[in-house]
Amino acid sequence: MAKEPSSAPDYMKLLQIDIKRLYFADKDLARDIKLEVSTQERILIVGATGTGKSSLLNTLNLMNQSYEGEILFEGKFLQDYHPHELRTRISMVMQETYLGDGTVQEALDEPLNYAALKNADHSDRKQRLGELLESFKLSLDYLAKRVNQLSGGEKQRIGLIRSLLLRPEILLLDEISSALDQKTSGIISDCIFASYPGTVIAISHDPLWQERWDRTWSLEAGKLIDNSGVK
Amino acid sequence: MDISYLGLALGLLLLLYPILIFAHLKLKLSRQLFISVGRMILQLSLVGIWLEFLFNQQRWWLTLIWMLIMIGNAIFTVKGRLKYQGKILLPVISIALFTSSIIIMPWILIMIVKPQPLYSPMYVIPLYGMILGNGMNSCALALERFESGLADNWQAYFTRISLGANLWEAALPPFRKAMHAALLPQLLSVASIGLVSLPGMMTGQILGGASPLVAIKYQMMIMFAIFSGVTITDYVAIRLYLKKRFDKFYLPKGGR
Repeated sequence: MAKEPSSAPDYMKLLQIDIKRLYFADKDLARDIKLEVSTQERILIVGATGTGKSSLLNTLNLMNQSYEGEILFEGKFLQDYHPHELRTRISMVMQETYLGDGTVQEALDEPLNYAALKNADHSDRKQRLGELLESFKLSLDYLAKRVNQLSGGEKQRIGLIRSLLLRPEILLLDEISSALDQKTSGIISDCIFASYPGTVIAISHDPLWQERWDRTWSLEAGKLIDNSGVK
Repeated sequence: MDISYLGLALGLLLLLYPILIFAHLKLKLSRQLFISVGRMILQLSLVGIWLEFLFNQQRWWLTLIWMLIMIGNAIFTVKGRLKYQGKILLPVISIALFTSSIIIMPWILIMIVKPQPLYSPMYVIPLYGMILGNGMNSCALALERFESGLADNWQAYFTRISLGANLWEAALPPFRKAMHAALLPQLLSVASIGLVSLPGMMTGQILGGASPLVAIKYQMMIMFAIFSGVTITDYVAIRLYLKKRFDKFYLPKGGR
C-alpha cells in the first residue's frame, strides 16, 4: 500500500486509518477506508465536492467524530490523546485562516496562551519565527502589521507559519489556496515543501500543486482509491 | 396609610387616559391593556391573599414550599426565554439559581436581617423575590449572550481549539463577553440608584412608614446581595452550560 519506508531505522507508521464508515448527518460519505501514512509522506486528497474530503481530513485531528472505525496515531488511538495536545501535533490550516483582529505578532503568539503549549520550551521560538518568515518571503516588519491590512495570500502564509511554529508531525491543509491566485498559490506550496520536513496531507484543486506528491487519495462514489508513488 | 378599595378604583380610572389616547390614535393596544391589567389584578390579589395567609401562619415549611415554587417559576421563565433549547438547560439553570440562593439567602438572613424567627415569611419572601428575580433575568441574558457569542464566531472557536486550546480556554472569550453583557446593566443601575428613581423596596418601606435611613440600609444590603447573587448565578450557569454544550473533544454537541 504505502510507499516503502526510507532508510531510517526507527521507521514507523505514523497514522493507521481504518474507517468502516464516514458520514455526515445521516448521509454516508464513504466506506472502508484503510490506509497507512508514513513519516514525511506528502499526500494529496482529490475528489469532487461533497465526497467527504474535508470530513476525512477533519477526522485526523479529532475535529470530526462522524465516523465508525479506528484511527491510530503513533500506535495509539486518536481518542486517547488530549484533544488539545493532538491538535498541535496534527495541525490543520483551513481555507480561510482566522487570525483575529490584532497584530500579526499577536496572531502568531495566540497558541502560547493555550494548554498544549503553555509548558513547552519556547527558547528557540524567535529564531524559528525569523527563519519561517524568511522562507515564506515575509519581512520582520509584518509582525507589527494589523491582520486586517494583510492580503489573502499573506494571511494564509501567516496562518501556515503559526501552524508550523507548533512543530506538528502532520500538517493538514484544507483548500488553503482556493481563494488565491495561481502565482500566490505556487509561492505558498513552494514554501511549504521547502520549509516543512514532516508529513503533509492536503486537499487542493490547484493544478500547480498536483505534481509534487508522493501519493494521491481520490474519493469517488463512497470509495477511496490510493495511488501510491504517483508523481 | 392603607388605601381604600374606593381609592383603588379611582386609581384604576387613571387608565381612562391611555384608553382615550389609544382610541384617538386608533392604536390597537386597548385589548392588550385589558388583558394585562386584568391579569395583574388577578395575580396580585391571589398573591396578596396567599401572602397574608403565609405571614399569619409563620411555618417554616410553608415558607420553604413557597420559595421552591418561586424558584421553579424562575427556572422555567429562564428556559422559555432562550432560543437554543435542549435537555441540558433545565439542570443548568436550576443548579445556577439554587447555588446563588443557598449562598446569599442564609448570609443575609442569619448575619444581617436576623428576623425572628429566621424563616419569618414577611422578610424571607420579599428578599428572596428580589434576589431571584434579578438572578433570573441576568441568567437568561448571560446564557443567551454566551450562545450567540459562540454562534457569531464559530470560526474563532474552532481556530482556538485547533491551536491547542482546551475547552475552557477556547470558550473563555465568549464567556467573558457574556458575563460583561449580563453584569454591566446591573452595575450601571447600582451607580444610578437614588438619584432618579427610588427603588421599589425603598419606596415600599418609606410608604409603609419606615424611616428613610432604615430604608437605605436595607436598599444597600439588597443591592450587595443582588449583585453578588447575579454574578454567582451567571458564572455557574455558563460554566455548567459549557460542560454540557461540548463533548470531550471540545466539539459542540448537536451541531453548531
